[in-house]
Amino acid sequence: MTASRLFELIIVLLYLSGSVSYPLGLVLRRAFLKRLAAWTSAAAFGLHTVDLALRSLELGAANLQHGQFYMSLMAWFFVLIFFVLWWRLKHDFLSMITAPLALILFSSSLAVRTQVLAVPEQFSVLWFSLHVGTIFVSLALIAMAFGAGVAYLHLERLIKTKAKLPGFSKELPSLETFDKANHWAVSIGFPLYTISLLAGFLWASFTWKKVISWDPKELISIVIWVLFALLFHQRMALGWRGRKPAKTAIILFILCLVSLVGVNFLLPSHHSFRQ
Amino acid sequence: MNQEIYLVGLNHKTAGVDIRERFALNDCDPAATGLVSDAGAVSEAMILSTCNRVEFLVVGSEEADMRARILRFWADQCGQPSGDLEGHTYCHVGDDAVNHLFTVASSLDSMILGEPQILGQLKTAYRNAVEKGVAKVIVNRLLHKAFSTAKRVRTETAIASSAVSISYAAVELARKIFTDLTNHRALLIGAGEMAELAATHLLSSGVRDITVVNRTLAKGEELARQFKGRAMPFEELHQALLETDIVISSTGSPTAIIRAKDMKDVLRKRRHKPIFFIDIAVPRDIDPDINGLDNVYLYDIDDLKEVVEENLAGRMQEAQKARGIVAEEVMAFMRWRDGLALQPTIVALLDQGECIARKELRKSIKQLGPNPDPQMVAILERLAKSLCHKIYHEPISYLKRRSLEEGSAQRFIHNARRMFNLDEEAIPEDAHLDRKPQTGSK
Repeated sequence: MTASRLFELIIVLLYLSGSVSYPLGLVLRRAFLKRLAAWTSAAAFGLHTVDLALRSLELGAANLQHGQFYMSLMAWFFVLIFFVLWWRLKHDFLSMITAPLALILFSSSLAVRTQVLAVPEQFSVLWFSLHVGTIFVSLALIAMAFGAGVAYLHLERLIKTKAKLPGFSKELPSLETFDKANHWAVSIGFPLYTISLLAGFLWASFTWKKVISWDPKELISIVIWVLFALLFHQRMALGWRGRKPAKTAIILFILCLVSLVGVNFLLPSHHSFRQ
Repeated sequence: MNQEIYLVGLNHKTAGVDIRERFALNDCDPAATGLVSDAGAVSEAMILSTCNRVEFLVVGSEEADMRARILRFWADQCGQPSGDLEGHTYCHVGDDAVNHLFTVASSLDSMILGEPQILGQLKTAYRNAVEKGVAKVIVNRLLHKAFSTAKRVRTETAIASSAVSISYAAVELARKIFTDLTNHRALLIGAGEMAELAATHLLSSGVRDITVVNRTLAKGEELARQFKGRAMPFEELHQALLETDIVISSTGSPTAIIRAKDMKDVLRKRRHKPIFFIDIAVPRDIDPDINGLDNVYLYDIDDLKEVVEENLAGRMQEAQKARGIVAEEVMAFMRWRDGLALQPTIVALLDQGECIARKELRKSIKQLGPNPDPQMVAILERLAKSLCHKIYHEPISYLKRRSLEEGSAQRFIHNARRMFNLDEEAIPEDAHLDRKPQTGSK
C-alpha cells in the first residue's frame, strides 16, 4: 500500500468513526460517543484538507480534470458547511448527516481516481471558482436541509400523534432548530445555486457557443433550480415553515443525488465521470 | 467500643403531615444540645429535616439503645411526647442504614420518584453538620458516597429525564417545539388553577412574557400583575393569538372558543410561526381539529396525563436499575468501613502485646541483679518486642484476610476484640458460676 493510499484509508476510517459514533451516542445516551464523533470528524476534516492541499501541490490545475478531485472536494465542502452550521446553530445533530455523506463522497472519490474529465484549460479557474465552488456549497446546504427535514418530520409526527418520545427522539433538538437549518439552507443555498447555474451556462456559451445543449445534467439542474426557487419564494415571501419546506428539501436532495450519481456515473453527459 | 451507623426517622410513608410538622427539626445543633459529645454514646450525627421526612443519621456505640435514645432527644427538642413518635418511625442499622441513605439521596424514596430536590436538602443538612463539627470520618465519607451514588443514578439511568407533572410535561413539550423559550410569549386564556401552575412553570423556564385574556378583564389584570404580564379583553383574543407562541386555555366555556377554521387566518397572519396549545379545560376550549393544521400543536389534559403516566411507568423501570447501583455502592462503602474498623484493632492488639512484653521484661531485668549489663538488657528488649510481633503476626494476617470477605469482617473484628479483651470489658465475678463443677474438685 502506498503512503497516499494509507493516508486516504485513515481519512475514511475517521469519517466512518464519526458516522457510527454519533448515532450510537444518541441511542446509548453516551455524551462521550457524541464528542468522539465530533473529534473524529474534525480530525478527518484536517487530514482531508492536507490531502487536498498535497494533491493541489502535486498536480495543480490538472486536478480540475479529475473526477476524484471533485468528489473529494465536495466531501470536504460538506464537512466545512457542517462546522459553520454547527458553530452558528450550536447543534451537533448535523453530525448525523455530514459525517456519513462525507464518508460516502470521499470513498466514492477513491473509486473514480483514474477518471479524467474533458475540461477546457483556459476556463478552468473561472469555471472551478464559480460553477463548482458555488454548487458544492449549495449541495452541502441541501444535504443539511435534507437531514434536518427527515428529523423534523419524524419528531413532528411523534408530537402530533402524541406518541411517547423514545430515547433517540428525546435527544433530538426542537422542531424550531430543524426549521432554522432549512431556513439557512434555502436563504444561502438558493442564491449560490443560481450563481452556479448562471456560471455554468455562461461557460457553456463561451465554450460551445450555445447556452444550453440539452445535456441530462443541464435538464435536471434546471428542474432542481425551479423547485429550489419555489421553496425560496414560498419561504421568503409567504413565510412557509415546518413540514412543507422539510418535504421540499427532501425531494430536492433526492433530485441532487439522482443528478450526482445517476447522471455523473450512468448517463452520457459532458459532466460524466465515465471514461 | 464498637461503632455502628444508625438511621432513625420518619417520612411521608410512615407519618401524616401533622406528625411531620410537629417533629420537624429545622435548626438543631446536635453538639450544643448534647446528642453528640466526646464521651457520649453518639460520636457523629447529621439531621435531615424536610417537609416529607425527618431523619437522624448517627454513628454511635453498638451497646446503647440508640433508637430509644434518639427518639427521646428528638421529642425533647420538639417539646412533644416521645410516645407520639412510636409507630411512625423506622430504625436502620449498619448496611441497612447506608442503603436507606443512598436510596434517599438517589431520590428513590421520594414522593415523586426521581425528583432532584432531596439531594439539595441532603447537601444542606450535611453542610450544617460539618459547620457544627458533628460530621467526622464516617459521616463525611458516607455523605460523599451518597452524593456520588446519586450522581451515578442520574447519569446511568433515565430516572429523572421525563416530566411527571402536568405543568412540567407541558413545558417539556414546549421545549421540543421551540428551541429557546426566552424568545417566546405565552398566552393564558381563563384563570384556572392548573393553568396558573403551567404558566408559572413556563415563566420559570424563561418564557419572555405572559398575556392574560379573561372574560372578566379585572380578574385578568389581577392575574397578569401576578405574572408581571399584561391583560387583554376577551374580544381581542385573535389579536393575542397573533403575538403569542404558547397558549394555555382553561375557561369554563361549554363550547370551543378557538376553532380550526379561525386558526387558518391567524396562521397566515402570523406567517406560519408555530403555535402550541395546551387545553386544560373540561369541556375543551380548543377544537381538536386544530392539531391537523401545519405548525399547530394541541395537547389537552388527557394527552398530558398520558405523557405523565407513561413517564412515571418509565421511572419505575429505571428505579430497578437505580436500586442495583445503590446496592453496589452500599457494598463498596461497607468494605471501606470494615477496613477502617480493622486498623484500630491491629493497633490495639500490638499495643496490648507490647504492654505485656514490657511488663514481663521488667520482671526479667530485675532477676539479672542491681546493675544489669546494658547490652544484655538491649538484647532482651529486642527479643520481647520481636516475640510480641511474631506471636501477633498470624492473628493479624487472619483478620486482614477475613476483612476482605464481604459481610464477615465486622464479626471477626468483634470476636478478636473480645478474645483479646481489647475493649477491657469488666468480666463479672460470677461469670463462670453457671458452669458445671468438675467432678473431684475440692
